[in-house]
Amino acid sequence: MTGLMRRWLAHAIFALAAFATPLLLSGNRYFAFIAGITFFSVLWATGMNLLYGYTGLMPLMFGGIAGISAYVTIGLSANGWSFWLAMLVGSVAASLVGIVLGLPALRLRGFYFTLCSLVIQTVITLAFVYFVNLTNGDVGISHIPLPELPGGRQLAGTAYELVLATIAVIGVVVLTVIVESSFGRRLTAIREDDGLAETLGINVTRQKLAAFFVASLFASVGGALYAPYVGFISPRSFDVLLSLNIWVMVAFGGRGTIWGPVIGAVILAPVPFVLQDYYTIKDVVYGLLIIGVVVLLPGGIVGGVKRKGRADAPAAVAKQAAPVR
Amino acid sequence: MSDTTLIILLSTITTGLMLGLIFSLVAVGVTIIYGSIWMPNAANGQFFLLAALFAWSTSVSWGLQPALAALLVIGSSVPLSYALEILLVRRFYDVPNRNISYFVLTLGITQILSGIFSITYGVWSDQFQLPPLVPGVTMLGPFPIANNRLAAMLIAAVLLAILFALLRFHRYGRALRAVFQNRDAAALRGVNVRGIYRMSFVLGNAVIFAGGVLFACAYSFDLTIAWTMAITAFAIMIIGGPGSVLGALVIGIVFGLTQAVASIFASPTIAAFAYLGAMLIILLFRPSGLFAR
Repeated sequence: MTGLMRRWLAHAIFALAAFATPLLLSGNRYFAFIAGITFFSVLWATGMNLLYGYTGLMPLMFGGIAGISAYVTIGLSANGWSFWLAMLVGSVAASLVGIVLGLPALRLRGFYFTLCSLVIQTVITLAFVYFVNLTNGDVGISHIPLPELPGGRQLAGTAYELVLATIAVIGVVVLTVIVESSFGRRLTAIREDDGLAETLGINVTRQKLAAFFVASLFASVGGALYAPYVGFISPRSFDVLLSLNIWVMVAFGGRGTIWGPVIGAVILAPVPFVLQDYYTIKDVVYGLLIIGVVVLLPGGIVGGVKRKGRADAPAAVAKQAAPVR
Repeated sequence: MSDTTLIILLSTITTGLMLGLIFSLVAVGVTIIYGSIWMPNAANGQFFLLAALFAWSTSVSWGLQPALAALLVIGSSVPLSYALEILLVRRFYDVPNRNISYFVLTLGITQILSGIFSITYGVWSDQFQLPPLVPGVTMLGPFPIANNRLAAMLIAAVLLAILFALLRFHRYGRALRAVFQNRDAAALRGVNVRGIYRMSFVLGNAVIFAGGVLFACAYSFDLTIAWTMAITAFAIMIIGGPGSVLGALVIGIVFGLTQAVASIFASPTIAAFAYLGAMLIILLFRPSGLFAR
């Protein structure tokens, strides 16, 4: 029992903090909005972590999948569908697209997969711009209505942020369950050496595609909820910069750990708002951050702390059964 | 053949060749760097734009002769490359799978430069235009072509020929190709591998800069060309075969002509879709490219 409690203690604290934040900030819409955006980032970073941290693939089309889901959801609800049904259909459809877009991962690894995913992301963005009658092109779609709740009320304000907090917590819990399951261990085996994993009897194709489905589900649920929350989307909302920003959160926090990307998202998602008065240098700051992470923090914050702890106490390392990368 | 169709034909061919030569130059720069140090330089488009903007500043704002400005800009790439090499690139020479680290690193540089450009050179739709390198117009039959563009084409072609000869016959080129093929064996034969790495980084960037300057001389441009160029150069490198200079040359010209034809009969977006599609197919089915060595 204590083991169970200790295992989920961090999750409980995170859930508590996640639910308390919107309630505490409910007096100030601006801060509450920042919290809402941070929840999206936590969800997306957690989803990308499954691919980048645990399967060893860096997908730069992550934002595009979120975008597909957002456009499908909005399109369906504009045609009279209930938002929640539209979101379900949109998310599942975008995740199935995610499986298709993940197919190159079966043949390509490392840089070549990443380049391929960047090409796919560019094609998706171009398609959003090109199919004007579906997406309204570069102008984007504004005045997106808020989701209806049963009983005729609209989901808005603090209630919306609480829904986002719930989704973020569910995302982290789902990732934890996956990582600790045999599915997660198979993915880690594939990350370390997919040839070896194959000879151990792991069906690499199926595992990789399943990982893409789950990670795309994270992306697309976030995308569907993002559109009405912000009220405006355009092809630029889901371009390669979104994918890169999520990647930075994962890498900065520490890929391949449950809490690293969450910490990364919580630290980095509010940065654009803090820099709002200096929005012109936002790109420069992000670029410096990317370079800093690559050069100085290859394991991320959590990875760095872990490594330091191990160096200090070698005896503790022997006890720890955690996989060493 | 009537005059109008002849004019359309000639203008398509010259535009295609012009674009193709510039694409080839940039792609050769990218492929030299990737072939030697395994660095996919995603910032090539921003370097290209940096050169073009710098050429604009020196010739329009400072009032330098365009030819002098061009030389100055290309020369300025050398200290820039050295600084980047010492600060960032050098750290990863011995890292396994460094291509993905480099890729992300150069995406970071891309972000920084694009941020700086949007602050300093301002609005995205502004068109920049340089004074002509050579004034006057030559008539090709009924088709008038600016001497300026002819000069830019000629310089690009000469530069490509020099590069090709350098890499094929010169000692440096042979050492570079030896490092491409087998770094350890090259080191055993007395090649200074790190020196070759540094040289190729400097040379590759200088070539990309030259491409940017020549483009600025021939066409007016805006800040969006950076991203287009980056994607195009990558597509050319992948299709031609990473590290293959001949591949970059041939595919670059093919891309230029395709672009010129596509912009007459369809939209540039269609051309972009075509490049990206071709790149995806090559990546999936022949990752070593069409001109693999």
